[in-house]
Amino acid sequence: MLASLQKRLHDTVRQGVFHPQFHFLAYALLGVLLLLPQLTGLVTVGLFTRIFVLAVFGMSYDLLRGYAGIINLGHALFFGGGTYIAGIVFANYGTSPSMLGLAVLGTTAYAMLAALLMGKIAFRGGNVVACAMITLALGEIVRQIAESWRAVTHGADGLTFPIPMMFRDRVALYYYALAFMVIMMLALRQFIMSPTGRVLLAIRENEQRAIFLGYNTASYKLVALQVAGVVCGWSGVMFALTSRFANTELLTVQQTLNALLVTIVGGTGTLYGAIVGTAFVQLAQHTLLGLRGVHPIFERWLLFFGAIYVFVVLFMPTGIVGLYQRFISHWLQPVKPR
Amino acid sequence: MQPVLKLENLSSFIGPFHIVQGVSLDVFPGEAVVILGRNGSGKTTTLRTIMGLLRVASGVIELAGETILGLPAHQVARRGVGYVPEDCIVFNFLTVKENLQIAMRKADKETYARQSYALDLFPDLKKAYSRYAATLSGGQRQMLAIARVLQNDNKIILIDEPSKGLAPIIVERVGEALIAMKNSCTLILVEQNFPLACAVGDRYYILNSGRSVHSGSVAELAQDVQLQNRFLSIGS
Repeated sequence: MLASLQKRLHDTVRQGVFHPQFHFLAYALLGVLLLLPQLTGLVTVGLFTRIFVLAVFGMSYDLLRGYAGIINLGHALFFGGGTYIAGIVFANYGTSPSMLGLAVLGTTAYAMLAALLMGKIAFRGGNVVACAMITLALGEIVRQIAESWRAVTHGADGLTFPIPMMFRDRVALYYYALAFMVIMMLALRQFIMSPTGRVLLAIRENEQRAIFLGYNTASYKLVALQVAGVVCGWSGVMFALTSRFANTELLTVQQTLNALLVTIVGGTGTLYGAIVGTAFVQLAQHTLLGLRGVHPIFERWLLFFGAIYVFVVLFMPTGIVGLYQRFISHWLQPVKPR
Repeated sequence: MQPVLKLENLSSFIGPFHIVQGVSLDVFPGEAVVILGRNGSGKTTTLRTIMGLLRVASGVIELAGETILGLPAHQVARRGVGYVPEDCIVFNFLTVKENLQIAMRKADKETYARQSYALDLFPDLKKAYSRYAATLSGGQRQMLAIARVLQNDNKIILIDEPSKGLAPIIVERVGEALIAMKNSCTLILVEQNFPLACAVGDRYYILNSGRSVHSGSVAELAQDVQLQNRFLSIGS
């Protein structure tokens, strides 16, 4: 009996919301999102576009923290880097679709190189705290470079740039962002389910045990960092299309902490959790700001957020998705292991 | 005959503490060597040093005539040293089948044959093949940890206290499997359970304060109560 219950729990946790019985929910949600621009105004469309893009940022962070057990406090250097590269390309070389291709290629190369350097330095010791501190320092170095390189980045003033014509329509951009989020989620899911993904999970569970089996864990973590870095960089490019503006705020540790917080609120190690967390945070922020007219305290929406984060960490350590899974796991039929 | 594993005057540290201060041993093909000694004598540390997990101050570690000193642990494992640590960690989120798969260094016919042999040795694992490792008992987890190493083409297998925390009936079953394993592989067994060590081992080395102080045939040690009392504090 106990074994059966444990098995069901493990099925649910392992499959996350990839469980077949969640598919219906996912398709229904996707249907609603496809119809949303027809049902609401441009403000809501813009808000959801931002959610889709930031959700990819959150998922890339979840791949590192939730699946590979890496705490990267310099993750924003990929996100901000992508936004800056896109902005610099559009501002200096035009806004034709080929320039978008150039921005994506440039971001990919930048993210891979930055992840390689970051990984080579941060994974040397194998210590989680040292890794977090080194990545924090590297992120800060990149921010300082962007801040000082005023001729290209316009420093703290920020860089305003035009975007390709095809993304100027807000509704079209909404659909591009939705497609981007869905494709990235499926691609990351595939990566996690691959043999490399399984080894990453093994490293997260017990790195030394994985080493004893003959795995060079530093190489696997480097692969995870590169995949997460590239995906995060692409989300930065998409963010450039939604904001048409880049400043050094995008490279700060605060951006990384935002990604960390959405994964904590949504549920770590689930991928979907980052989407749920981003939606929750963005919608809560939007709603609280909307209540400014009711009482001036709502202008200090960060106060409420602080309380929400403390509540989640103390009482919902598995996040919204984890809580949901716990309550409905007894409805689910176990999935036959593959 | 060339030893499969040769340690010569090995010395290693855990942080600032000098734990292994001079261990020498030879393990020949097909042998089961047991390392005995009181708590804190450096048995586990010796295995961890062989695996490349600790800083070696001096000495020699040779695997089939080639030095493996200074190699990182994953390369030591790939050279053919299987290690079953005392905490017998298995991956809880994987099934028994997947735990075996993830540990496979090659997916060839020979590996599958060895896996099949390992499952024959541990019929409990066969029954639990599709179950998640999180649902296994302590004994089954130990069996899985050993089977995972057994399926690879290892030159030598290091097993650290396989009886630790297990019920006597399970220790008996693990012991039977270890005795059967002797026919197909070379073993180093660190064990506090003296009857189990005697049942499995051909030769022994006794460690005391980080040094190898005595060696010989296990059959002789089993008869020599004075030696047991002197170094192992067992017997009357």
